[in-house]
Amino acid sequence: MPAHPDSAPAGVIHDIGYRHYDGDRLGRAAITRALFWHSLRGAYGLGRSARSKILPMSLFAIMCIPAFIIAVIANVGALNLSDLPLPYERYVITTQGVLTIFLAAQAPQSVSRDLRFKTVPLYFSRPLERVDYIGAKFAAMSAAMFILIGVPLLIMYIGALLAEFSVVTHSREVAVALLGAAVFAIVLSGIGLLIASMTPRRGFGVAAIITVLALSYGAVTSLQGILRYAQNDPTAAGWLGLFSPVTLVDGLQMWVFDTTSSAVAPPPGTVGGIGFVLVTFVLIGACWGLLNLRYRKVSI
Amino acid sequence: MNATVARLTGKALFGGRRALLLLTLSVILVALAVLLRLSIGVDHQVSADFLGAVALGTMVPLFGLIVGTGVIGPEIDDGSIIYLLAKPVPRPSIVLSKLAVAVVATIVFATVPTFLAGVIMSGLSSGVALGFAVAALVASLAYSAIFLLLAVVTRHAVVYGLAYALIWESLIGGFVPGARTLSVQQWALSVAERIAEPGLVSSDVRLAVAGVLLAAVTILATWYAGQRLRVLKLAGEE
Amino acid sequence: MSTPSGGSTLAIDAVSRWFANVVAVNDVTMSIGPGITGLLGPNGAGKSTLINMLGGFLPPSAGSVTLNGATIWKNPDVYRVIGLVPEREAAYDFLTGWQFVLANAELHGLASPGDAARRALEAVEMEYAQERKVGDYSKGMRQRVKMASALVHDPGVLLLDEPFNGMDPRQRLHLMDLLRRMGAEGRTVLFSSHILEEVEQLAQHIEVMVAGRHAASGDFREIRRLMTDRPHQYVIRSDDNRALASALIADGSTAGVQMDEDAGVLRVQAVEFLRFTELLPRVADDAGIRLYEVSPSDESLESVFSYLVAN
Repeated sequence: MPAHPDSAPAGVIHDIGYRHYDGDRLGRAAITRALFWHSLRGAYGLGRSARSKILPMSLFAIMCIPAFIIAVIANVGALNLSDLPLPYERYVITTQGVLTIFLAAQAPQSVSRDLRFKTVPLYFSRPLERVDYIGAKFAAMSAAMFILIGVPLLIMYIGALLAEFSVVTHSREVAVALLGAAVFAIVLSGIGLLIASMTPRRGFGVAAIITVLALSYGAVTSLQGILRYAQNDPTAAGWLGLFSPVTLVDGLQMWVFDTTSSAVAPPPGTVGGIGFVLVTFVLIGACWGLLNLRYRKVSI
Repeated sequence: MNATVARLTGKALFGGRRALLLLTLSVILVALAVLLRLSIGVDHQVSADFLGAVALGTMVPLFGLIVGTGVIGPEIDDGSIIYLLAKPVPRPSIVLSKLAVAVVATIVFATVPTFLAGVIMSGLSSGVALGFAVAALVASLAYSAIFLLLAVVTRHAVVYGLAYALIWESLIGGFVPGARTLSVQQWALSVAERIAEPGLVSSDVRLAVAGVLLAAVTILATWYAGQRLRVLKLAGEE
Repeated sequence: MSTPSGGSTLAIDAVSRWFANVVAVNDVTMSIGPGITGLLGPNGAGKSTLINMLGGFLPPSAGSVTLNGATIWKNPDVYRVIGLVPEREAAYDFLTGWQFVLANAELHGLASPGDAARRALEAVEMEYAQERKVGDYSKGMRQRVKMASALVHDPGVLLLDEPFNGMDPRQRLHLMDLLRRMGAEGRTVLFSSHILEEVEQLAQHIEVMVAGRHAASGDFREIRRLMTDRPHQYVIRSDDNRALASALIADGSTAGVQMDEDAGVLRVQAVEFLRFTELLPRVADDAGIRLYEVSPSDESLESVFSYLVAN
């Protein structure tokens, strides 16, 4: 610490041993990467207390178990199956409850804690821009969700290979499903992080995320069922799929990759397909934009 | 029952964002009902299915979760519950007072909107509106008690409660027939079945069994919550 | 339960408390009677854990914590006698100061809660702000309203966890006056702090805790003496270390002098603090030795406390 030359013999700043750092300082990119890895590990409880590992790890296990069972069933010769009992792209909708819980539990862990303990200003008083912070968190949460969906899909793929199903077909299918999984991960993470960043109270964030995802799915599916079967109006039912993130991406997956759909009513025709794709991208963009807006003002 | 505790809890619950979330849910429910009525007209089976799936199946557990954890969770979380506990007030009385507030909240935000939705879609004649309103009432009472207990026991009540509601009731309940006997949803459905016109609602559980189980779960959860509150440790941040 | 005039005693008997494999409180025995007692110790010494146990929010893993013979854990009736001022900031932010203290009075089941609330707010001088929400209060105001909520039922025992944290000097003086009044009325007041001066000014009796152990107990003068009359270590750099060393060792106030050739310093162990501090400059002046650096090498509170523990 340099000593201040003072007029009166009043104050001097002494060198009491603070260590100077004159070495390399890594830039923004390195900080963002570090934040990304930290958040990703934190989503699975790595690098934190043992208790915080229980939930994400058990959810991960629960996600993998059905995939494992499917892989085993496919390999049981006695059943003489020619294909997997459940196609890859349907896995997400079947296990969406687990995904919802994971997102609801871990998205607040990622952003609400920083807000509650007011450490966000500490992040921004470093050479880290808001865009970097949000980008890192968004990417980390998406990566975490992608792993959650992707690993079970790979387990099923390995099972299919071991059962000597058509390698070409399954490779193509699993690749397509993984792409769909990526879109799912990004959309769900965006929504989850946006909701979680609205409140410093973790419990409330959890409840809100669950509410939005579970309610939208429940309401949309039930209405779709009514409209399609009771009213025989598959078009209107198809359009309703826009209002729930899960059915939205499922519809996109179905139209773009020509896969089977698990929704009650698929997007109606070409117009519907394009509409679903557009809305997906608009949704992702909106989440990104709103997150940026939210972090524009961070109180000390 | 302690009036002061109830007053404080009521102020906290109804003045905050939780109430806003609940209100939004109620409005969505009624709006959906209006939408259905306008597009389909009156169809009792549709009404019953809709109320069963959306109101009873999705919204009521969510209400129970938000309200049940909301009446005690935040206070335990930030430590302000010490002002209630450092008083010569019996712990079961604290739990009962908070549960009373939870009941009022569920009546306002769950039961009445469900009834309204039912009336909008089917009118009063088929008993659908009344049946599901009563079902919503007893189900949310049971859920509130369960989630309040969970909030006293663990800081992650919301997540575990959710795991129960989503995984147990939907996944396992959908695949394992026996498990349906142990589902709050099924018990509530059997109440609705009894009140509505025959054939509209079906439940896997007989009414007598359902009634007993509902009462038993609610009372047991409330009692145990009181016991756990007596030994609540406040040791600081987690 | 004793009334304030009777005097209540908190008895802590061979109490230990552990969390998994961390021992927060280690075999502590003490008795806290009427008057003001200060619980002193560095952060992490187990003061808060002990106060939580006294307040009935943590059971001891071993031993017993009693108020006038009655166990505190799982006994809500003790709160008729005990008033608790917790450390954590959170309170009912959406209530006004008046509503908050009134609610506390009602929860105690007092006959006329309004009067009690008014008296309590007067005692802490918060009537001017009682219509504002607690959420808008400053830290010191919050602390005072918490005090009011603890005083509202005229308790015989007051437990305060780090009450002077974040208070400005005027508020601290005011709170000290208040606590002195409480103590003079025969109430049992226990407060914790890690600042010796605070505890000194207020407490008649001090209990020192270090690393979970009960390190020292006694009147504040005795504690001060124990802490200042211990051997002090000094590091001295001068332009003639050897000459200084022989001059210092000649006097009885030093117990040991070590020459550290590598660092070029003298390490002196002084057993009589006051005499040494007068001796050093005089000796240096007489011998014409220039002192470049004189610094104590064990002045931290921890080393003080660990000295107390060792003895």
